Amino acid sequence: MKRIRTLLASATLLLAAHGAFAAASDVLVTTEWLEKNLNDPKVRVIEVSVNPGQFERGHIPGAVNFAWHTDLVDPVRRDIVGRENFEKLLRSAGVSQDSTVVLYGDTNNWFAAWGAWVFDIYGIKNVKLLDGGRKKWEAESRPLAAVSKQPPAGNVRVAGADARLRARLPDVIAAAEKKGDVALVDIRSADEYQGKVFAPAGIQELSIRAGHIPGAVNVPWGEAVAADGTFKPVEELRKVYAAKSIDGSKPIITYCRIGERSSHTWFALSKLLGYEVRNYDGSWTEYGNAVGVPITNLAGTVWGGK
Amino acid sequence: MMAVSADRPPAVPPLRTLAPAAAALVAGLALARNLAGIEGTGKELALSALLGIAFGAVLQRSRFCFYCVTRDFLDRRDARGLLGILAALATGTLGYHLLFGAFLPDPSGGRLPPGAHIGPVSWVLAAGATSFGLGMALSGSCISAHLYRIGEGSLASPLALLGAAGGFVLGFLSWNGLYLGTLQAAPVVWLPASLGYAGSAAAQIGLIAIATVLLARAHRAPPAAAGPQAWWARRWPAHVGGILVGFIGVLSYLRLGPLGVTAELGSLARTAASGAAWFPLRLEGLDGFAGCATAVKETLWSQNGAFVAGLVLGAFGAALSGGDFRPRLPGAAEALRALLGGLLMGWGAMVALGCTVGTLLSGIMAAALSGWVFAVFLALGTFLGWLLRKRRGW
Repeated sequence: MKRIRTLLASATLLLAAHGAFAAASDVLVTTEWLEKNLNDPKVRVIEVSVNPGQFERGHIPGAVNFAWHTDLVDPVRRDIVGRENFEKLLRSAGVSQDSTVVLYGDTNNWFAAWGAWVFDIYGIKNVKLLDGGRKKWEAESRPLAAVSKQPPAGNVRVAGADARLRARLPDVIAAAEKKGDVALVDIRSADEYQGKVFAPAGIQELSIRAGHIPGAVNVPWGEAVAADGTFKPVEELRKVYAAKSIDGSKPIITYCRIGERSSHTWFALSKLLGYEVRNYDGSWTEYGNAVGVPITNLAGTVWGGK
Repeated sequence: MMAVSADRPPAVPPLRTLAPAAAALVAGLALARNLAGIEGTGKELALSALLGIAFGAVLQRSRFCFYCVTRDFLDRRDARGLLGILAALATGTLGYHLLFGAFLPDPSGGRLPPGAHIGPVSWVLAAGATSFGLGMALSGSCISAHLYRIGEGSLASPLALLGAAGGFVLGFLSWNGLYLGTLQAAPVVWLPASLGYAGSAAAQIGLIAIATVLLARAHRAPPAAAGPQAWWARRWPAHVGGILVGFIGVLSYLRLGPLGVTAELGSLARTAASGAAWFPLRLEGLDGFAGCATAVKETLWSQNGAFVAGLVLGAFGAALSGGDFRPRLPGAAEALRALLGGLLMGWGAMVALGCTVGTLLSGIMAAALSGWVFAVFLALGTFLGWLLRKRRGW
């Protein structure tokens, strides 16, 4: 009996270890796989794109559209969608307890990855990203449909939000003030990181200060992506981050400007490399405006004006 | 034995018109091909240019000019041109509703179909449309018709467009006040949201049918044309042009976005003026509206820019083949009218978020109340301008 228990325990441990260092196929699906499995009623495909009209003019056949700025956020608070609304949304998208959800979107899956983070916060199982997103699907001339259909309602149950995947302002300040052993990854452009600019070109300035959170290293999100839009192979990813001392030896916090692009890096670090990662969705728009917090500004800009 | 003339195959246009027209078409296709090579957006830019070529050719061949057809009716009770516009609206309404069903299965959910030109309804829209109508009457045509007239060699049209760019700048200067005072809280009314798709399509087709009956009753047939013309030099009937415009509008909405001709002009004006001390640094809320969204230019080619370039080339080719290419220098009074009219049109198009194509055609096709309101006040402004010109002998 004891032996069996030991065996079971080791098997569980092995499984857990496997989960922590998940192979790419567990959290990513290839375009080939998705095309072959499109008719599987257990596979629910959901598009989360940044640009309006993308989904309507052509989407992966059978996919459902989530509008990130209305469906995945709380309409009143600056927050992710509430539990009840999320459950309603998922059920109307046909997601059931036994569904496999595949998320994809434009601009290299930025907001699809953000969707994956929200799904993870609410403990939804079997959620995967389409590796390469819309970009790869279109580049390979795979079929698109312009007519969207309403799937039969699903029965998924959404649990309470798991706070462990989210970093809040006090967590980040603690990291900046070296009160905890946490690594910070800033995924914005080098110019934003250094404080030369407050926001990327064409985007309204939303922070009073420019620069980055003290102690953060700069690994722009694009460094995790191969030319065809897929994530780089795991070993290569490991090297990219290790070069900036991000090696999983301590918990990590990722951030960007509004917290969405950083989900892409959150996905790479936590799902592909198996590190312990929280996404800071307040990001620079919150931190750069917060009162009484330290900022590192390499470019020397303090206020917008000179 | 049958008469020789009946057996003769239809004549082809003479080489002196055919060759340059073909050259214009080839230039248009080459533009599209070049645009297709731009990384990322190339496919959409190329398609925009191709739709622009088709649109320009149809406008030119069928004389689809909002002011000209209104003047025909006011001067001579010739309603054919206006009926052509109604044909475009009916075709577009049916096509748009067909697409809406696919794009957004449930119209009552509070969302709007992506990109459709559905704008806020307020006195600002009415004022913009009236100003646009007045300017259109003074300058001799609306912005899209000025663009196709450039293809016909009109030298007054560039002046009107220059005036319109100035009008856009005036629009930007008045924007923040209008937005904060009125537009921000103005209702954005999309008929299918309350009537459903069937109800909204029926309501629109009903209104278009009533307008058709009224115009057909008022119509007086013009005297027959002087003599038979060769098929390539003959104008296409207005309703044929209208139906084709409706089709192009629907295809454009399916693949790219609603038709519009002022976004690029507005963007150029905004880019040229931004940075000047007197120009507002921020245009509140403007970039959140669909329609004549006038982003500051960051790339050489935009979809609307490719569309407008294609339009001019398509009209140029069509004008050459039909023998309509006749460059002519405007007189001083005409040049002044073109500039002033352009100014009024530019201001109107900016505050109404579009013009006869973007707000009236694309808006009504999309079942937007803003499209209908624009149409009513455009008619009022045009009538006033027509009256002014008649009284003053302009």
